[in-house]
Amino acid sequence: MRSFFLAVITLLALAAARPALAMDKSELLKLLNEIDDRQRNGGDYKALLYLEQKEKDKADVVREMVVYRRDADDKLMLLFAKPKSEEGKGVLRLDKNLWTYDPGTGKWDRTTERERIGGTNTRRSDFDESRLADEFDPSFVGEEKLGKFETLVLDLKVKPGIDVAYPVLKLWIDKATHNILKRQEFALSGKLARTSYYPKWQKLFSESKKAELWFPGEIRIFDEIEKSNSTLVLFKTVDLQSLDQNMFTKAWLESKSR
Amino acid sequence: MSRLGMLLQIAWRNLLASPINLIIGGLILAGTLLFVVVGGLLDSLNDSMARSVIGSVAGHIQIYSSKSKDELSLFGGMGGDPELAAVTEFPRIKEAVEGLENVKEVVPMGSSGALITAGNIVDVTLEKLRNLIKARAGSADDPRLARLTPEALDARISATRRHVRQIIRVLEADQKKALAILKDQAIDPDVVASLEKVSQDAFWDDFDQDPWGSLEFLENKIAPQVTDAQLMFLRYLGTDLDQFQQSFDRMQVIDGTPVPKGQRGFLIAKLFYEDQMKLKNARRLDKLRDATANGRLIASDDELKRFVKENRTQTRDIVLQLDDLKTAEATTKLQAFLKSTDPDLTALLSTFFDTTDENLEARAAFFYAELAPMIELYKVRIGDTLTIKAFTRGGAIQAVNVKVYGTFSFTGLEKSPLAGNTSLMDLMSFRDLYGYLTVDKAEEIKRLQQDTGAQTVTRANAEDELFGEGATIVAEATAGIIDEDKTFTGVGRRLREDDLVKRVYTDSEINSGVVLNAAVMVKDPSQLTATIEAINRLSEEKNLSIKAVSWQQASGILGQIITFFRGVLILAVLFIFGIAMVIINNAMMMATLQRTQTIGTMRAIGAQRSLVLTMVLTESVVLGVLFGGVGILLGTGVMAWLHQRGIPAPNDVAYFFFSGPRLLPDVSSGNLAIALVIILAVTLFSTLFPALIATRISPLRAMQADE
Repeated sequence: MRSFFLAVITLLALAAARPALAMDKSELLKLLNEIDDRQRNGGDYKALLYLEQKEKDKADVVREMVVYRRDADDKLMLLFAKPKSEEGKGVLRLDKNLWTYDPGTGKWDRTTERERIGGTNTRRSDFDESRLADEFDPSFVGEEKLGKFETLVLDLKVKPGIDVAYPVLKLWIDKATHNILKRQEFALSGKLARTSYYPKWQKLFSESKKAELWFPGEIRIFDEIEKSNSTLVLFKTVDLQSLDQNMFTKAWLESKSR
Repeated sequence: MSRLGMLLQIAWRNLLASPINLIIGGLILAGTLLFVVVGGLLDSLNDSMARSVIGSVAGHIQIYSSKSKDELSLFGGMGGDPELAAVTEFPRIKEAVEGLENVKEVVPMGSSGALITAGNIVDVTLEKLRNLIKARAGSADDPRLARLTPEALDARISATRRHVRQIIRVLEADQKKALAILKDQAIDPDVVASLEKVSQDAFWDDFDQDPWGSLEFLENKIAPQVTDAQLMFLRYLGTDLDQFQQSFDRMQVIDGTPVPKGQRGFLIAKLFYEDQMKLKNARRLDKLRDATANGRLIASDDELKRFVKENRTQTRDIVLQLDDLKTAEATTKLQAFLKSTDPDLTALLSTFFDTTDENLEARAAFFYAELAPMIELYKVRIGDTLTIKAFTRGGAIQAVNVKVYGTFSFTGLEKSPLAGNTSLMDLMSFRDLYGYLTVDKAEEIKRLQQDTGAQTVTRANAEDELFGEGATIVAEATAGIIDEDKTFTGVGRRLREDDLVKRVYTDSEINSGVVLNAAVMVKDPSQLTATIEAINRLSEEKNLSIKAVSWQQASGILGQIITFFRGVLILAVLFIFGIAMVIINNAMMMATLQRTQTIGTMRAIGAQRSLVLTMVLTESVVLGVLFGGVGILLGTGVMAWLHQRGIPAPNDVAYFFFSGPRLLPDVSSGNLAIALVIILAVTLFSTLFPALIATRISPLRAMQADE
């Protein structure tokens, strides 16, 4: 009889422990939504970024760039400020179109999600609002220790009909704060393309959102194809003032380089 | 002298006496003939290819940085373009190398490639409309549009709007067909609604109230529905165009004009212009005409049948180029020509392009006379500005605008894809695209890095450094202010404008900057090796850090082709002569044994061994000279016949190796002399052993044999 009770208690304990071992789909989506929401601003968003690309046997590529976002309308614009030779070059997302502009030629070109931004190993999605829950289907992998941090590990697969730079992701999410600490991106074939680390998460109060807005203070991207290449993204300033109504247009971007 | 005469008499008599000698002679004749003809052909091929390579891109010698990771390969290697280190002290190098006695001049160069997107027809037309509206608003990028009167601008805007509306009608018709086949659920309702909106008069009536908004709607909702954008890989050589035109005298400008001295500009390789930039239907008509003029028949030639089929099915490029008025005009003209009442232009064009051997000429003539004036035959017209986007050395994308002044080709190499696919660009634009980090730019980047003070984290230690003990990941931030006016000063634009506004560069400015390689033209090509050695010595003495290589080495795999064939020839000749030696040796042994009695008798009546040896060897020499001579004569005859007739290039690629449409082979006296020497050496060597046997025949044995 005693052993029967012991067995029942053990089974109940195991059953109770199950949610800690594996997260179901709704929990995963809730987690992704939380990650998306905290990085999404209700109003406008502007950030000054520093990009640095290191490659073997090549001079460093260094850029300063301003990111403009109007998350309510899914609008994004990247505008390069430094070095001088890059000033006025930009990227503009309008609907499903991604445009690049070069003031040297006065030309707009339609481009793809896979296009490298400013000669670095970054993509449009590194600077846009987070849409993990909208764009990917998650599955739970397990728990893992990353340095001193306990993390939840998730696999994400892109939903059908959505164009992203990498269709398969693996995320290491801090259990305590629910911030992404590590992100691996894979091609459809399963080949690992990039490993990114997010060692600094910053938050500031947004008037328009009436809540805290989170952003990664630093992203370190390691190229998994060309192993000696790496990219650093630093968020220097974040400005949450309202932007011009006509800012996310070709005409506005062109006007910045006149 | 009398002894030599006697030996020659004996040799002549024996020559005709034995049929074995005729076999040996035949072998000698065939070997010599082969050597003269194949050797002559290879020499001619080598000379032709040298003319092609030297005359089109390489010059006699190429120099490049000795710090380069790869070897120079002008036509690309197995792994794409070689990685060459930049030559940064070109003026000093040019001065030093041009100081050498045999050097005529040094032409700076650098080659690269870029993908250029022509954009789909809607993108291109909308861009045209955007530029016209910008010009009307007084902010034209294109100075030609800025010069137009308001009336002229309005007329062009109106025509372009009509063109866009006609494209929308075509897209609507496509959508209707697709809906009939695919059912509603397969088509994005947003796409259907967008097309519906822009097909309404209301959209166009309100267009001018918000032209930028209307344009963006068309650009973002309608243009992506057309997926006919074409990517073209453009290969170009950046050079001092003026010097290039003078040094490479086979280069000829075909359309347009040369780029004015010292100015930025682009010359498109004519073959590339025709193959890649011409309207595909027109290009296929040209090819059909060329092929049928050379005796090929559409009725029996699979490739020509394919051209006709593609012309019939791919008429969209033409239909989308026409506005409503031109569509009506083209339809009327085609109805009259085809005697048809079909109102559908696509169907009419499909019937029109159903060309046969009988109607091809008439239809091609009609196309060029009646339809071509209504459409753009080329994606880029002479005088247009071409935007070239390329990856810089650092991996960033850099774009430049260059004016297209014309097209060019190299005389005799008009059809060669190897010589006809590389266009020419001014050196200043090339340097912009190459993205070499100047001292100023490097300092600016260094300052940016110092101001930011970012720490380097290595891949191996990343996780420990970023997430190890002491790491905190969350921090409070304070909002900052990003002032656009301070951040974007317009300095980049001003820098570009200062540099680009109709500037004429001096020779010194063109030469002072980075180049990747340079062609060295020499006064006496026969001194090539000595000059290469002299340049390499000079580089060491003056610390120029350059390496000089011959045109052949610089052409990479291409340059090795002749060396490969020459190797094959040498092996083949060695093989043939090896077999010939064995046969001649055996035959001579037989001939010698047949003459045992004669030689024995000669020895009995006092002939010395040396006389017997000389006799047999003289016979061989006479045999070699006689049949080898006939072989040389026959070979020379064959070569003269080939020279007169010419060997036609079997395909376009062979144009480059033949240095023109026909190879006109020549045979050199040097080749003939070598052939004779080799054949005599082989004959003498093969006869040496039988001759020694002959000297050992004793009179006694000869008499015993008789008994």
